[in-house]
Amino acid sequence: MHLIVGVKHVPDADTRLRVDPSGTTYDPDGVKFTINNTYDEATLEESLRLKDGNPGTTVHVVSVGPPRAEEGLRAALAMGADEATLVEVGTGTELDPLLTARLLAAVIRGIPHDLVLVGRQAADDEAGQVGSALGHYLGLPSAGYVTGLEVDPASKRLHIKRYVEGGEETLGMEFPAVLSILKGANDPRTPTLPNILKARRKPLRKVPVGDLLPALETWPGGAKPTSRVTAFQLPPPRAGAKILEYTSPEEAAGKLLAALREEAKVL
Amino acid sequence: MTLNVLVLTDQRGGTLKTASRETLSEARRLVERAGGGRVWAGLVGSGLDAILPKVQEMGPDSVLLMDDPVLKDFQAAAYAVAARAMLEGIPSPRVILAPATAMGREWLPRLGAALGTGVATEATEVVPDPEGGIRIRRTVFGGKATVSVALPEGSCATLRVNTFAADPRPGQAPVTRVPVPEIPKEARAISVESTVEAPRDTVDLTQASIVVAGGRGLKGPENFHLVEDLARILGGAPAASRAVVDAGWRPASYQVGQTGKTVAPQLYIAIGISGAIQHLVGMSNSRCIVAINRDAAAPIFKVAHYGIVGDALAIVPALIGALRAERP
Ligand SMILES: Cc1cc2nc3c(=O)[nH]c(=O)nc-3n(C[C@H](O)[C@H](O)[C@H](O)COP(=O)(O)OP(=O)(O)OC[C@H]3O[C@@H](n4cnc5c(N)ncnc54)[C@H](O)[C@@H]3O)c2cc1C
Repeated sequence: MHLIVGVKHVPDADTRLRVDPSGTTYDPDGVKFTINNTYDEATLEESLRLKDGNPGTTVHVVSVGPPRAEEGLRAALAMGADEATLVEVGTGTELDPLLTARLLAAVIRGIPHDLVLVGRQAADDEAGQVGSALGHYLGLPSAGYVTGLEVDPASKRLHIKRYVEGGEETLGMEFPAVLSILKGANDPRTPTLPNILKARRKPLRKVPVGDLLPALETWPGGAKPTSRVTAFQLPPPRAGAKILEYTSPEEAAGKLLAALREEAKVL
Repeated sequence: MTLNVLVLTDQRGGTLKTASRETLSEARRLVERAGGGRVWAGLVGSGLDAILPKVQEMGPDSVLLMDDPVLKDFQAAAYAVAARAMLEGIPSPRVILAPATAMGREWLPRLGAALGTGVATEATEVVPDPEGGIRIRRTVFGGKATVSVALPEGSCATLRVNTFAADPRPGQAPVTRVPVPEIPKEARAISVESTVEAPRDTVDLTQASIVVAGGRGLKGPENFHLVEDLARILGGAPAASRAVVDAGWRPASYQVGQTGKTVAPQLYIAIGISGAIQHLVGMSNSRCIVAINRDAAAPIFKVAHYGIVGDALAIVPALIGALRAERP
């Protein structure tokens, strides 16, 4: 079974952001980048568990990103992925979620794939569009909000659990398919030193974005983004909580309820 | 300018979600802001007759109904094809909106990919773009920043739940039945085998307008009922930090944060939660945040609007007592 896992290299959750002079993104200077998006790490861990349980399974990680994204792919290889492909994007290329999905699809079309897995969303732009869109571009069934999966390689069938508001669904699916994972394994494995060394020798292919764009011209949406960020803004710093003074728990409770009703008007 | 809006509603499970009502109302307001245009409500599913009046009550100009047993379960590939067929009757300039429920968030990117248009997720503001299409605002980086996004005519956007007011307007929009188009083979490769519903009296965390969350400060699973009692009496949903879930006090379905659920209710009460960044990214967009924590220096007070510094095991029972005394 051939698994493909899409990953994105994103800033650390606790990094401080500054607006870039263009006003439409953050200034990458001084930003700490995590290895990979948390949702992707959990997805990758799920895939590696499938690999552990099904001999002969391969995991190929793919990413669209600037040269620094190579670091994320090396980390994925060190965790146990077998191969990596980076669609390398320079600073001049504007991307949006669907163009990213088209680039991923263009690359995945050339790689054997039984199952394509992505995280629920990236921790930076939080778009969460790539999974469903990949389903369309690859002509495959897709399911989102996946919370659990079991694979039967012999029958080429897949049983997945999917979150729905107020419950959970179990789906039967044929593969190939695309899944976007809401919640994967909570504890992604930590690469061991021998595996980190081994990862340096695993194949990592770089595809310049320019090699893929011309072929996208004829796809719906084409080779350009179809949405455009016009402003990136940081909210004004919050004043901090209004601390309610009290002498008894009852007084505290009374003051809070009054504030929520009369001031905040949320009760 | 004029703008026509197709609202794809979410009624998974058989009832029209509040989030669908919110989106229908915002579509009305969007058309008014544009200075003209019409709102179509698009319903895809099976056995939808009972909810038609609930949709009409939100004041769309027309209702498009695609009701067929093959569409009983939500399935992005099939529903994207269904929505495209509905769009055929809607003149440009037009945009497509849906609530940012699990269904809407899965449906619209697949539709947008097929249409070759733009898609935006979890909009908190939608305005007509003088250049055509719409401009939306949304939060990114777990609420640390916001972006404005321009989407051309023909694009799709999901609207964040609990953000837009649902105000009914009497109306009797005519209902047009749209025949089911041919469903592609990839859409037939997937089927729902079973659905497990959460117990009736619980409110879904991501839909709730009030969320009461407890952390390690509650000291042990034996005290966690305080969080649930307060949630119940407020008509909200209980939630937890990851520390609580990791300790096995409550199941993972309770977890809010980076590796749990993202919520943005009207009111979020954090009890005995320190406010680690991984927790904050899941709740900092809530409209009003209350923190109850023994430590005045806890980071949660930086994002909270109201704070009570004190022992949760004393404050929360007093809150429950006061609310019970009001509603005997
Ligand atoms: C990759 C990653 C992902 C993560 N994802 C998540 C996530 O999704 N969600 C999440 O919540 N966390 C997540 N975490 C964990 C997060 O970093 C924190 O460890 C966690 O949120 C802490 O939970 P807590 O606030 O309940 O506990 P603590 O940090 O231990 O805080 C307990 C608080 O209770 C207060 N307290 C103690 N006694 C009382 C009392 N009697 N009355 C009132 N207050 C009291 C204390 O002052 C303290 O502030 C993640 C961490 C990592 C590394």
